[in-house]
Amino acid sequence: MKKDKNTETITIAEGSSATSVKDIIKAEKAELRAKKREERLKKKQKIAYDHRGNIIPDLNKKHVKGIESKKSMYGRMFILPWCIGMLLFFIVPLFESLWYSFCYVEVAPGEMYSVFEGIENYRFIFEEDMDFVNNLTKSISSFFTSMPIIVIVSLILALVLNGNFKGRTFFRGVFFVPVIVATGVVMTLLTRSYGGYGAIVQLSAKSAEDAYSAAGTTSGMDFSALLNQLNLPEDLTAQLSKMITDIFNTIWTCGIPVVLYIAGLQTIPAQLYEASKVEGATTWEEFWYITLPMIGQTILLVIVFTLIELLTQSNSLVINQAYTQMIDNANYYHSAAMLWVFFAIVGTIIGLIILIYSKLCLKRWE
Amino acid sequence: MQMSISKSDAKKLQKLRLKASRKDQYKRFTRTKAGNFFYTLFLVVFGLYSILPMIYCIITSFKPLDELLVFPPRFYVVSPTPSNYLTLPSLLDNLAVPLSRYAFNSIFVSVVTTFFHILVASAAAFVLAKTDIKGKKIIFTVIQMSLLYNAYTLEIPRYLIYSTLGMIDTYLVYILPAIPSSMGVFLMKQFMDTNVPDPLIEAARIDGAGSFRIYWQIAMPIVKPAWLTLTLFSFRDMWSIVPGGTIFSEELKTLPFAASTIASGGIARQGCAMAVTVIMMIPPILVYLISQRSVTQTMSSAGIK
Repeated sequence: MKKDKNTETITIAEGSSATSVKDIIKAEKAELRAKKREERLKKKQKIAYDHRGNIIPDLNKKHVKGIESKKSMYGRMFILPWCIGMLLFFIVPLFESLWYSFCYVEVAPGEMYSVFEGIENYRFIFEEDMDFVNNLTKSISSFFTSMPIIVIVSLILALVLNGNFKGRTFFRGVFFVPVIVATGVVMTLLTRSYGGYGAIVQLSAKSAEDAYSAAGTTSGMDFSALLNQLNLPEDLTAQLSKMITDIFNTIWTCGIPVVLYIAGLQTIPAQLYEASKVEGATTWEEFWYITLPMIGQTILLVIVFTLIELLTQSNSLVINQAYTQMIDNANYYHSAAMLWVFFAIVGTIIGLIILIYSKLCLKRWE
Repeated sequence: MQMSISKSDAKKLQKLRLKASRKDQYKRFTRTKAGNFFYTLFLVVFGLYSILPMIYCIITSFKPLDELLVFPPRFYVVSPTPSNYLTLPSLLDNLAVPLSRYAFNSIFVSVVTTFFHILVASAAAFVLAKTDIKGKKIIFTVIQMSLLYNAYTLEIPRYLIYSTLGMIDTYLVYILPAIPSSMGVFLMKQFMDTNVPDPLIEAARIDGAGSFRIYWQIAMPIVKPAWLTLTLFSFRDMWSIVPGGTIFSEELKTLPFAASTIASGGIARQGCAMAVTVIMMIPPILVYLISQRSVTQTMSSAGIK
């Protein structure tokens, strides 16, 4: 039998008075809708049917519920407190600040009036506020110089601390306790007493007056006075003092990366090292071909943690500027715009780093 | 062959075996003498570098006034005296609130917040790691994103929320915002993913344990190192919390605030400032000592996805 390409046979329900194709389609659509409505009704009534469409009596008693629904109900209850807190203290403020970054905001006690202004604030911070662009480039470039140092120094420290020697627990404590102790006020007091009015400035200054004046002007570590006594060229002194200060700060920021690295190092199976020893690998080769590839994920984690720590700490230049704008000048709309620009850039950087790193290193090491 | 022995004997045996295996570990790696020397040198130099400020602080806190003003300052004390510590309570007399009140506030806020933070974070992490709740992925993305944000940046919108909830000038301002911090959920989730096996949970469910029981009696004991670490981090953060513009009454302010008040007294007060610093260093170190064995273990699970 020859089949025409353009026509197909359609089964039509008996007794239907349809004459054209349009009518048939209409009728079938109506049927489908009715079926759907019926199903919806079934669902609404929460009546359990078996595959033939008969009602299963046992499952329709009120107290019987599927294990899955019970599980998810508990799941919701478990996560609810956290979700409420997150919504209230993070997500709502976050979007409010996004909204304010597009507004002119007037703060009155207990209230806030905002007028929508479009991208005016963003235009202002980029075109009229010269400090902002400056601070932005400074904090981002300082991040790119100090991050490799932290990642490498903490890796070395972790390798050393992970070795076997007597008093390992003690030395780990020595490196980890400052991380725990030195936060907030204690951190300021410690560094100020030691570097500011304390030991180092006083040791380096020629007289007591110098020391006190130095204490008044500097916050945190300052070794420049000590270096000035060595009569080196000025540029070199500045560079050196910056480096020494950076080393100190680096070691204190290295605490958490070191812990992360040690943890990563401990997951490398010892058999790998034994095998490589049998094959006659040197320590250098061991490090290069076993240790580094095995802690690839940890390195990524350390990079992200360091980035977050460096860029979101409150003494970062941009955050500091935004904070002063917000508190001292009551200029919340500009500060919100600044922060959103900053976080967009930080987010992009983190994304790019993760992408590049996983493409270049992780794939090769797999 | 199996023998039935008492629990204490079994523990002893386990300890002995652990010791023996550790000794083997020491033997496996051998280093030359020069290598050993540089190893130790490296550790001592960097260790001193990182801990010297703390030692200096402790020493300074025991210096009498005349030694505090010696120039250049010494790294040792000639005649140590506890007077710096003894004068602390009287220093804040004019503030009408005794120092012990600040200390109580700090301890109360830190302990309560840490407790609830661990409870809330671990419950959320349990759900995220071990059930198929809707929107799991979205929630986890939000967590990772929120790790990026600094609490300072949201201060003004938060202030509005505090004032609508009537939280201003109460302990709640310290406690409530810190409870849903996302770092804890992130850490606990990574740990539960790898350490709590699914078959164990299924077995418990078949045996008739409810969700709460599985969470409390199976998952939580397994991830004990994780929540001990979290205790440490949370306590550390809360211990250093300073009242912002949300606390006005003096009797609700925390110890760090008192410490900075004392420290602003100038050079002559430096001994007292150091004494307060030493006192403030003690509780975090205690928490560290209690939980230190677990810290490195936990971090490994967070790191390996």
